[in-house]
Order: sequence, then C-alpha cells, then structure tokens
Amino acid sequence: MNPHRRHPLIQVAAVLVYVFLYAPILVLMLYSFNASRANVTFEGFIPAFSERVEMKGSMVQASPCGPFHWFCELSKNDDVIEAAGNTLTIAFTSTIISTIIGTMAALALQRYEFKLKGFSQLSLYIPIVIPEIVMGIGILTLFSQLFGVLNGALGLTGDSRLSLGLGTVIVSHIAFSVPFVTLVVQARLQGFDKSFEEAAMDLGANEWTTFRRVTFPMILPGILSGGLLAFTLSLDDFVITFFTNGPGSTTLPIYVYGLLRRIITPQVNALSTVWILIVFTAVLLLQLLQNREQKQH
Amino acid sequence: MLQRLRENKSAQGTWLATPTMLWMLGLLIIPLILTTIISFGQRSPDGNVIYSFSLDNYIRLFGYSTDCDAGQASCFNPLYLQILWRSISLAFNTTIWVIVLAYPLAYFIARATPKRRNTYLFMVLIPLWTNFVIRVYAWMMLLRKEGAINIVIGWVAGLFGLDFQPLEMLYTPGAVLVGMIYEFLPFMILPIFTSLEKIDGSLYEAAADLGANAIKTFLRVTLPLSMPGVVAGTILVFIPVMGTFIVSDILGGRQVILVGNLIQRQFLDARDPTFGSAASLILMIMTLIVTYFYTRKFGFGEEIVVA
Amino acid sequence: MSKSNVLKLLAVFAIASMLITACGGGGATEPAATEPAASGPKVTSTGFECPEPSPRVEVTSKELNMFVWTEYFPQDMLDCFELVYDIKLNRDEYSSNEEMYAKLSAGGTAYDLAQPTDYIVPLMIRQGLLQELDHAQMPNMKNFDEGWMNQEFDPGNKYSIPYLAGTDAIVVNTDAVENVPQSWADLWKPEYAGKMVFLDDSRAVIGATLLTLGYDVNTTDPAQLEEAKAKLAELVPNIKLFDSDSPKTALIAGDVDLGMTWTFEALAAQQENPAIQYIYPTEGAILWQDNWVMLKDAAHADAAYAWLNYTMQGDVFWLTLIDYTYINPNKAALEFAKANHTDVYSAYADSPITNPPAEAIANGHGIQDVGDATPLYDDIWVEVKGSN
Repeated sequence: MNPHRRHPLIQVAAVLVYVFLYAPILVLMLYSFNASRANVTFEGFIPAFSERVEMKGSMVQASPCGPFHWFCELSKNDDVIEAAGNTLTIAFTSTIISTIIGTMAALALQRYEFKLKGFSQLSLYIPIVIPEIVMGIGILTLFSQLFGVLNGALGLTGDSRLSLGLGTVIVSHIAFSVPFVTLVVQARLQGFDKSFEEAAMDLGANEWTTFRRVTFPMILPGILSGGLLAFTLSLDDFVITFFTNGPGSTTLPIYVYGLLRRIITPQVNALSTVWILIVFTAVLLLQLLQNREQKQH
Repeated sequence: MLQRLRENKSAQGTWLATPTMLWMLGLLIIPLILTTIISFGQRSPDGNVIYSFSLDNYIRLFGYSTDCDAGQASCFNPLYLQILWRSISLAFNTTIWVIVLAYPLAYFIARATPKRRNTYLFMVLIPLWTNFVIRVYAWMMLLRKEGAINIVIGWVAGLFGLDFQPLEMLYTPGAVLVGMIYEFLPFMILPIFTSLEKIDGSLYEAAADLGANAIKTFLRVTLPLSMPGVVAGTILVFIPVMGTFIVSDILGGRQVILVGNLIQRQFLDARDPTFGSAASLILMIMTLIVTYFYTRKFGFGEEIVVA
Repeated sequence: MSKSNVLKLLAVFAIASMLITACGGGGATEPAATEPAASGPKVTSTGFECPEPSPRVEVTSKELNMFVWTEYFPQDMLDCFELVYDIKLNRDEYSSNEEMYAKLSAGGTAYDLAQPTDYIVPLMIRQGLLQELDHAQMPNMKNFDEGWMNQEFDPGNKYSIPYLAGTDAIVVNTDAVENVPQSWADLWKPEYAGKMVFLDDSRAVIGATLLTLGYDVNTTDPAQLEEAKAKLAELVPNIKLFDSDSPKTALIAGDVDLGMTWTFEALAAQQENPAIQYIYPTEGAILWQDNWVMLKDAAHADAAYAWLNYTMQGDVFWLTLIDYTYINPNKAALEFAKANHTDVYSAYADSPITNPPAEAIANGHGIQDVGDATPLYDDIWVEVKGSN
C-alpha cells in the first residue's frame, strides 16, 4: 500500500497548483462582464438592460443584453466567427492527415529496415527544436518561390493564380504536427508486445487482418493521443499561420493577437469565455458518457 | 507488383514512411537548408540576402566586433552572449520551478482513482486549449498595480488595518518568470504523470515489506522511476522557453531581450535575415546538443507522450 | 485516457466545429445588409445610410483583398462599400510595418491593397512590390489637403495616397506629475525615473534622442549614432515599459505617469482621464502618415480603385472622425463633418491632439528609410535594451 496515497501535504499542494493554473482563467472570464470598455481594471457588472447601448465615456451604462453585452457584441462580429470556422477547419484537416501519415511513418520506423531510416528518424526532431519564426519564414519563402515558378510555367494569372491561403496553412500545420504524431505512436509501439500478433498469425490471419484486428486497436490510444496533440498545436498556432495564410483564411489566434495589440476590449475576454465553456462542456459530456458506459458494464 | 510489395519488407517500410518524409523534406529540411545558406550570406542595403560565403554573422554572434570605443581595431562585444546567457538562465529557472510545482500535482493525479484521473488530467489540459496570448494577458490583469492580486492583498491588509502600497509586479523579470512557469507547467505535469502512473503498485508493497518508510520509498523507488518523465518534461519546457518571445514582450514590458526576441527582431525590424538565420542555427544546435546528452543519459520513452 | 473517451471528445469537437462553420459560413458571406438591392439607399446594420459613390465606376471583380492595420476602419465604411458595389472585402491584418513587409517581400501573396506607413514606402518601391497609381481613375484625390500630398517619401504620389496621419509626442498625467516636461530632453530628468512608458519603436525613440542632441532623426553618421546610443543608455533604466501596442493602458491603470505615445493613444487615455495631456516637445514631434498602396500583381485593381475613390469621398471618410481619432488629411471629409455633424467635428477640431497647431506640424520630423544604416539603428536598440 502506497504510504503517500492520502498524504494531506500532497493534496494541499495539488489544490494550490490547480488554483495557480486557473486563477488567470477565472480573472479572464470575470473581465468579460466588465462595464468598462477600456478593460484596464474591473469596474463592475453592467447594471441595466435597455433598448440601445448607453455609454458614458468608456463605461457601458446599459445594454440590450445587460451584463452579457460583450457576448452579444461577439455574436454580431462576423470576423470572429469566420476566424473560428477557419481555425477549426484547419485544425481538423491537418490533424486527420498528419495522424494518418504519422502513424504510417511510425510503423515504418519501428518495424522495418529501409534506406534513409536513420536520417528520417533524425529529421523528425527538427520541428521540436526549430524557432517558429525561422520555420514560418522558411516555409513562406518556399511557397513563394514554388508559386512563382508554377504560375509562370502554367500561365496562371489573376484569380486563378496559386497563392497563400487555407491550403498553404493546412499544409504547414501538417508539417509541424506530423513529427509529434510519429514520435508518440513510435513510443507506443516500443512497448508493444508482439506475441499477440504472432498468435493471430498462427491462428491463420493474414497480415492485413492482423493489423486491423490486433495491432491497430492496441496502438489506437497512442494514435489518438498523437492526434489530440496535433489538434492542440494547430488550434493555437500563431507564427507559422501568420506567414502562410492569405486573404480569407485568418485564424482565431491571429485575429486575437492583432486585436489584443490594439484594443483590449472585453469582447476578447468574452471570446475566451465562450471557448473555455465549449471545451468544458465537451469534457463534461465525456465524463457523463463514460459514467454511463461504466454503469452498463 | 502488389505481390512483390508484400514480400519486400524494405519497400513496404519505404512506402509507409514516404508521405511523412515528403512533408519533412519539403517543408522542414529544405527551409532549413535555405536558412543555413542564408546565414553565411551578407545583408544588402535593403535587407535582402547577398549570397556569399562569409562567417561575419557567426563572428558577430560570439562577440567579435569591429565597432569599438577606444579606437581599437577589434574588441569583444559580449552583447549577444549576454542575451544567450540570460535566455539559458531563464529557461533553467523556469524548468526548476516547473518541476517543483508539477511533481506534487502529477503525483496526486497518478495516485487518484482511475475514474477521477481523467477528470484531473483534463483539468490540466483545458487551459492549454485557450489562446496562448490571452493567457499571458490574463497575467497582466492579475499582476498590475490595480490588478486582481494587489486588490486582494489590499483588502486583506485593510481587514487587519495595515497600510498597503500596491506591489509593482508587472514589467519586471519576475513577471516574465511567472508567465513562463504558467505557460509551460502543463507540459511537465503530463510526462511526470505518465511515468508515475506506470510504476507498478507492487513495488511499493515490496518496499514496505522491506521496512522502508515514506521518505525512503520516495527517494529510492518513486523518484528514480519517474526520472524519464522529468527528463521528457524538461525537454518540452526548456527548449520552447529559449525560443519564446511573446511572454517576455508582454510581461516584461519589452525590456527583457531573450534569444527568441533577438531572432524575431532580425527578421522583422532589423531586416537582417542573414544574422537572424545565424542566430537561429546556433539556437537549434544548442538545443540539439542539450537534447542529445539528456536522452543519452536518461532515455527517451513514452513519457514525452500524453498517453 | 481510454480510446473511447478520446473518440467521444473528438466527436464532440467535430460537431461543435460543424455548427460553428455553418453559422460562420452563413454570417461571413453576407454583408450586413438590411435593404434589398433594388430600391432606395443602402443602410447598414447600425442604421447608417450609405452615400452613393460619386463617381460610380464600372467594376467586374467580385472581391477585394486588403492587407491592413488592425482595427483601423469604421465598420460602416466597410459595410457600405460591400453594399453599394456588391464586392466582398477580404481583410487580413498586421500590427507592424515590419510584419507586413516581411510577408509581402517574400512573395506568393494575393493582396491588392496594403497600408504602409511613410518610411517603408520607398523601400517597397525599390523592391518592386508596388504598381504606379493611375490618378485618372481616382478623381477624388483632390479631396486631400495638399499638406499631406507630394511628400518626400513618394513625390507626386505616384505610388501612394494618404489614409490617416498622426504624431508621436509626450504624454503626461498632470495629476501625478508636478513638473510637466516640455521637451524630449526633459524626459531624462531623474524625477521621472520608473514612471515612463515609451514606444517600442527604435526609430521613434532613437530619433527623439537624436533631437535632444541637435541631430537629424534620419542621420546615418556613425559618430552621431554613438552619441545617441550613450544618451539613450542613460534613459532606458528609467523607463518602466516599452509598448507600441496599447500604451494608454499603462497610463490609465496608473502603472506609469508619463512618456512617449502617439495621437490615438493619447486621446483615448485623455477620454478616460482628463488629467492626461499631450505635449508637443520643443525639439519637434515625430510626424507620420499611413498610406494606401496597390500591390504589383493586384488581381482586382478595378475594385481597388472603386474602394479608394469611394472611401475618399467626404461623406464617407468623415466616419473615421468618430472612433478613429487620428489626424485627418481629407479636407472634404472635414468640411462635410463641419456642416452636418458638428459635434463630431468640434470634438476633432478642438483637440490639439487630433488637430495640432500649425507650429507643431511645421516643427515636426518625419522618419525616413535609412537603407544601409537600418541594422545600425537596430543594433543600438538591442544593445541598449539588452544590456539591462
């Protein structure tokens, strides 16, 4: 029996660290109700409901949405919604593709011998050590040169030209996600017990069936973790996205960063609050589903 | 042909790895080669690259300068080495603090019931899913003179009738440290948790049977077995801290110049991509060396993973 | 984390994203219109009635790609253009000239218009990033005040036309500071130590230092720059923070009491705290202007000209006077506001911040590109900040 299991000191420490993690988040959420548009300090909740927005200086006196004024402003903000849509599209697409090819690469590196294997393994570490701005500008230069050549060779002009946009962002996100997926799945494969596969083959399954019904389910947690990591990295990326995006492909981090640098209105806080609540709800639903599943067993 | 593919294991391996390798080659290796080539170039008056082979940028990084005060031909300008040293110190301090804070929480989660464990883990992950920059700005709201922390302390002091001058916490190197610790804490919690979770419970029973008390068990069983996690976490924290510029910009009032800031300035404000490329390469080589020695000594396993 | 958990989490995210994209897709493609295209004037969602374009030009493009400063346009201006011409505006934003330049100079972008500040325009011209503007297609150019046209950085306005302008000068919280500084040199006084905010702009701050020494803000003389470096090194320890994003925040919050900032920030701070004043230093303030330029391979040049002409109209451009309180170089807009929206006009005209006295402008200094000496300036900046 682990003597530390219920040690009060550990529990106190854990609580304190959670407080440290969440204090800024809670302050963030509080300020999304700030009556002061300048959002420098918290000046209280918006006191009243009214037909039109009433302001006195930079204080919101009353609003059709009352204390939720900034959330209403947010919902009218087309830019934010478009950016959110782009962000999720990019994140999902790049995650799915990088998970598939990353898993394939992990299998290759763990189980096969082939030419350039050492080189491939090493190159996976590059995105972990490279400064983002170097990668961003490097990829931008690459795309620019490539598009310049292709546009000239294929005679594309005007709107049909190849240029930066959603596609280039997705491709770049895959580039920094794939190594993480590969390393994660590789780590999972390292501890893998081959005897299950051998047993399946002994029982007459061919390679593909073995993979599908034995190997794949067993490495699935690793694949999903890698995918989750890729998703997280893509959601929050700023530098690389900034250099590779184009008209109409703004993402939330870029939009927010630009906004924060100019006017830090509570609208940005409202956006964060909404985002946090979505994630929280997702996690809560997960827990409920999990509890229900466990009850059934 | 498919038949031949089935039999040729080496070819199978190559095919499986090809898509990833294409991406790595195209979007990472080629830009990296470009960066290396540029770092040996020289800056044109407008900030473009003159392709040549010159070690000027590297020499400048290491302090050799021809722009001297007392009219000497050459002298030592420690500026960039100072910046490098400052970045390493900050990364080191951040890592130590992060380990101190992360370990108890990781331990707590590892020892929790499996049902609760997922919840606790998600609670660590949720802040990561908000925007990085917004989290830094949140610390501004906490640390400034009229910020949340000062208000709370002032209120408590008021209860005791004590006079209280608001603390000047923002725009100091301390604020940058706190910000870095905050941003990278989850990246240490998760690997340490993973390695703690893998420790077989029977090891503790064995230790108890052999008469070890709580502290001894921790020092001789728990700590050594959790080292892979600590190492993985260190890599996940130390390296990004070296390259981050946003935290030092926002919380340090743009007074704290780290390597990340230096590199960013070269590409943007100074319009000197050659120097920026050289600085980036040195940074990358340094982090590769650190990573190499670390993993040689402690191994590189699943802990770098959030599984 | 078991596999079914993660699968379910991904499923929830997938559903959430589909919902948001569906809403976003709908929201983003429609301009904020409330009136059908056929009859009557167009009205935006705030109730603003859009003026007709005069002259109305023929446009075949369906969209316009702009690369512009964050938060620099009245929403009504954007909405009206989309309604009146039925052209979709795609806006990508940046927060510094250097970011804009880095992206545009690499190539591969598909923007039609950009908004560089004066000093970077000659660089863009030299690098072949811009195309010459056809003045014949922009008859509304005459609406601009000649004082902001035909500048040194672009003689004859061959490549650029003005948007908004401003100054960098001294800002002071007169409640917190006893001796109000009157010159850049005054800021070196020890009584201000630890209470100042400065722009994070190497050219502006080094420029101010050069002015205190009696030199030109655009000097390339290494000896003069050395002196400036030494002088600046004395000042930096007294500066609490550098901020080119939102210096007003520190002022309003009381983290700092005085410093260097620009027009918009000073006015915004003053609106929060009337004790905050803007002082044009005796050595001269820094003047700047933001300009429209058309990029070389612009695919929608006709839409770009339509946009420029429309926004240059007095009855459209005056909208910037409401929330975007910079110096307004468009005299037609000022006259329109004076005649029809006197409250907005007097707020603008009465404030020395947005309407600087003539001597302040005459005394002012514009930052220009220094070519080869750019790394010199940046070196000074890094060294002075980095050896703290």
